[in-house]
This record gives sequence, C-alpha cells and structure tokens, in this order.
Amino acid sequence: MTLTPLSADQRDALQEITNVAMGQAGASLATTLDTFITLSIPRIIIVDVAEVANSMCELIGRNTEVTAARQSFNGYLRGEVLVIYGQDGCNDLADLMGYDDELDRAAEQELLLDVSNVLVGACLCGIAEQLRTELSFSAPSLIGEKMPVDALLRPEKLSWSHALLMEVNFRLEERNFTAHLVMLMPEEAIDRMRGVIDDFIESF
Amino acid sequence: MTESIDTQGLPDFIVKWVDVGIFVINREMEVTLWNNFMANHSGQSAANVVGRNLFDAFPELQKNWLKKKIDSVFILKNFAFTSWEQRPYLFRFPHNRPITGGVDFMYQNCTFLPIKNERGEVEAVCVTLFDATDTGISQTMLKQAMAALEESSNRDGLTGIFNRRYLEQRLDSEFSRCKRYGGIFSLILFDLDHFKKVNDTYGHLAGDQVLCEVTRRITPMLRSTDVFGRYGGEEFTVMLAATELHGAQILAERLREAIAEAPVQFNNIDIPVTISVGLTQIRSRSEKYETLIHEADTSLYASKEGGRNRVTLTPQEWNRKSAPTELATAFSS
Amino acid sequence: MPVSVLVVDDSAMARKMLIKSLPAHWEMEITQASNGVEAVEAYRAGKAEIMFLDLTMPIMDGYQVLETLRQEDMNSLVIVVSADIQPIAQQRVKSLGAIAFVKKPVTSEVIESVLKEYGFYDFDSVKR
Repeated sequence: MTLTPLSADQRDALQEITNVAMGQAGASLATTLDTFITLSIPRIIIVDVAEVANSMCELIGRNTEVTAARQSFNGYLRGEVLVIYGQDGCNDLADLMGYDDELDRAAEQELLLDVSNVLVGACLCGIAEQLRTELSFSAPSLIGEKMPVDALLRPEKLSWSHALLMEVNFRLEERNFTAHLVMLMPEEAIDRMRGVIDDFIESF
Repeated sequence: MTESIDTQGLPDFIVKWVDVGIFVINREMEVTLWNNFMANHSGQSAANVVGRNLFDAFPELQKNWLKKKIDSVFILKNFAFTSWEQRPYLFRFPHNRPITGGVDFMYQNCTFLPIKNERGEVEAVCVTLFDATDTGISQTMLKQAMAALEESSNRDGLTGIFNRRYLEQRLDSEFSRCKRYGGIFSLILFDLDHFKKVNDTYGHLAGDQVLCEVTRRITPMLRSTDVFGRYGGEEFTVMLAATELHGAQILAERLREAIAEAPVQFNNIDIPVTISVGLTQIRSRSEKYETLIHEADTSLYASKEGGRNRVTLTPQEWNRKSAPTELATAFSS
Repeated sequence: MPVSVLVVDDSAMARKMLIKSLPAHWEMEITQASNGVEAVEAYRAGKAEIMFLDLTMPIMDGYQVLETLRQEDMNSLVIVVSADIQPIAQQRVKSLGAIAFVKKPVTSEVIESVLKEYGFYDFDSVKR
C-alpha cells in the first residue's frame, strides 16, 4: 500500500484540530490540578514502523527513562494514545492532587493513570466533536515503568507499517512535571482520517 | 427469572439481570439505580439502597477517594476508570472461587460513565463494576512464576548457589557502588584441586556430589551479605562486602580447612578434596571489576603452583612486604 | 470607512475559520499574520484596529505580542482566540490588555456578541 502524504491543507487542518483538542485537555488537567499548564505546539508526522523508536526519541528525549500509559480509541477512527511521563513529575503531581503522605507504588500508578485518562478523554472528545464523529475509548493501562523511550514501541512487535503520529507536550509551571501525549493511528485509519479532515475543510 | 420481558422493557431487563454491577449516582451522591448483581453481592436490595446516599448505605467505602473520583466525572464530563491492578476493589464483595490463590475478595474493574442532559451538563454518573477475580488470580500466578524463573536464571542448576551471570552482575554493581560512594569489598576465588581426576576416577556423579558437598560446607560459614557462587566448572567465588583483605584472608583459610579436614563421601567411598584459593581487595587504583577477577585468578594460580591446598595473596601484596615474610603468609597443610 | 482587522494565527485553517465567522455585512480590511513578529509589523503599519490573536505560535507567541503592544500604547482592540482555555490563561491575557478571550473553535455568534459588547458591531449600519 503506497502511502500518500497529507497535503499542506490537511496537515494544517489536523494541526489546528489537535491544537484545539489539546487545549481542552490542558484545561481539564489545569482544573484537576488547580495550576497552569504550558502546552507545546502539536507536532504531526507519519512514521514508518522501523523508525518509530527513533521518532519517539526525537520527540521525547533520547536519554530519558519514562513511565507510559496507553488507551485505545474506537469508532470510525481507531488508534491508541500514549501518555508518557518523565521521572521527576510524580512527587509534584501527588502534591498538587493533595496527597499528604508518600505514595506507594499502586497509588502512584493510579495517579498516573488518572491523569492520563483526563488528558486522553478531553483530547479525544475534542477531536471527535470537531470532526463530527463519535469515538469511544478504553480504560488506561501502564505499558512501562522507568524504561528507556526507545523500548516503548518495539517495531518487531507492531503489526502496522506506517502510522500517523500526533504529539503535544504538557508542562506544569514551576514544577518538574512534564507529560507527552502521543496519538497514533495505523495506516488503515489514516485514509479515513484524510476523509474526515477533507469534510472538515469543506465545511469552511 | 420469572418476570416476563413485556412487563419491563428489554433494556431494563438487561440492566437488571446482566452479570455486571450497574448502579447510578446523582449529584447529591444518592443511588438512583441498583441492579441485581449489586444487590446479590452486597446483600442490600434495591429497595434498601435506592434513594439513599451511597456513603451512608455503605460506610466501609473509601469515601474521600471515591467522592473525588465521581466528582471528577461531573466536572470534567469525562469517563473514568479503576483497575484491580492498582486498587483491588471498590466494594468488598466475597468471591466464590474454589481456589483462592491468596485472594480473599472479588477483584473489580470499574468504569464511571457521565450521563448528560440536553444542555450537555452531567446529571448523573453510571458506575459499572466488572468481576476481575479470574484475571487477578492468573496474573498474580504469572507474576509469581516469572519471579521464580528470574530467580532460577540467576542460580546454578546443580548446586543452587548463584551462577556466573549473576556473580558478574553483582560484582559489577558492587564495584561501581564502591568506586562512587566509597567502601571496600574483597573477592575470593577458589578452585577444586585435581577435579578432573575425581571425575575420571570416580565418575561424574561423584564429581557432582563433591561440588554439592563443597557448597554445603562453605555456605554456613558465610554472612548473608556475602555472595557465593559457582563461577565455572570447578571454580567458585565469594564476594565479601565491607571486608578488607586481612579479614578475607582469615576467612579464606577457614574455608580451605573446612574442605581439607574431611573427605567427601560418595557411595561409601571417601574422596579427599582440597581447594586452592586466591584473593584480592578493591583498591582506589582498581580500574574495573574485571581487574579484580584477574588479580584473584593470578593469586589462585600462585596457590596451584605453590603446591595446592593453600591460600595465596595477590602478587601485588608480595611487593609491599618482603618476600620471605610473604611466603610465611601462604599457609600450607 | 472600513475597519482594519488583523487575524493572527500560525494555522491557515484557523485564520480561515475565524474570517468566515466575522460579521458578513461588515466593511473590513483584513490582514493576516502567521506569527507574532508579522503581527507587530502589521500593527505598526496601522492595520489592526481590531486584532484577533492566537496564543500558541512559533517565533513570537500571543503573550509576547500583548506585552509589545502594551509597551507601544496598545492602540488596538485585541481579542484573544485560543485553544488554551485554562482560566489562568484567560486571566493573564486580560491583565496584559486583551479586551476579550474567545475559545476555539469560534462561532459567528460568539464573535458578534463580543464585537457588539465593545461597540463595534452596529446593527443600525447593517440595516441601512
């Protein structure tokens, strides 16, 4: 299957849609944590499965150890969303959520999963609303704790050859906490995505 | 199930009877729907629960956490989830599994769904509760099996002490630690004398018995912080944490004595066994852990050359003292 | 006399969406800018009686534009149009001199009501 790249208009539209959705996700997180979140500009690329580890390193940082959660989404469009945390954030997060004591491992995991869910839920709902489609999503689960970035997605274990990747970075002001939200759609979904984006562009 | 579907409507029937917990909470935290699964497992019927505040009806629930969770659905208008892996259950329901595998209560996965009105505001939250006990038990068993496997991959199959792979890992990390934060440790390397001859004369089963007996005699002589392992076919190492050379030397002599003092019994045959021992200690000039192995090996070789059944210090030590005195420190039987 | 309107956003799509939701019968001279630097240039060239300003842009972002305008006497009515809808963001832009904050995606109803509130959308002139 030859892969047609996104046109400049499609890319621009998708970036704007993602920007709005991520803004909603950031606002949800800001409400939950009662603090200010800095959002980066969304990055959109189409990755080859062989390059996925490399692309992730470039987006997130090569020499970082991360903890990551995933949720899948389904509907007319399908894919997965990863939320990737650096190691420094957890204490800050616990602090902001009002936990007084040290968290044990299960509590820390639960916290990260809750935050992932907040971000992913808002982001997916934002995208679905704008594209006038319906998406449902699964419960979050952890796919790695304190592991190197390039170990998160192993090409030999993945069944797709190309995927659409969208990434945004959330940072808490004056805190060490950062999270990257990476949305991935496999190639069959990319064509459908192109279709809904075109519909979106047409409507203006 | 004697009710007819006509009297209730299909969706109501399904919600009532499905084998999943379903209940609905309004903004005041009052229960407005309570299905049969919840009634049967909680022992509280819908008649007793509907209309009451959830936390009044079930005071054992973790109120602070659960209220925050439900509130977040009202505020953010988003689904929320809990997983048995982080939080074994919401409600302490007994389960009915014949093999509990250490599980006393039902493991649960829950989903919290926002129920919105026409204006898009969340009026109520529907909670669905799935019995995850089976998954929980098999995951726990899998984890235990994997831990056992991990452990076994660090062990020598015959003697049960650590294998070379693990020894090198520990040596490497202890070396790095001491280099970084300070601290000392010593390394003893010993080798069974004439082991090939034992195998050739008495057979390999005898050889195995000798290896096991050596392990059995040495193990109780070591501290819990010492790392004892089989480095090669007939080669063993002991890593002594927080021990300098002098202390290691004293222990090394005791180990030698423990092996030499009595033969190993195999099928009513007495097999005399002795060991040659080399040792060294980490120093500030030590560059890498492999250097230590090399030093211990060199002094082990010196023990062999010197007549076996003895302990020899590393040649570096020889240079620091005069030669005759050094020879005196190489014990011989 | 047409009102000069400056639309600032790094996304061409977003600019298009905003322009489409401006009042249909209004006489406007519209200029577009794709980052803060271009926005300030257009402002200095007198093309921004009203400015619709995005926050997240490369090179120079919306906050920096507001600060620059503040130092130059703020002769523009700035309406921030952003995806970043956190309450703190809204407070910040208002304290930097923006008159209003509109969240994306924009609708013509919201734009019109903001313009009316600040006396820019004159129904009478439309009826004429």
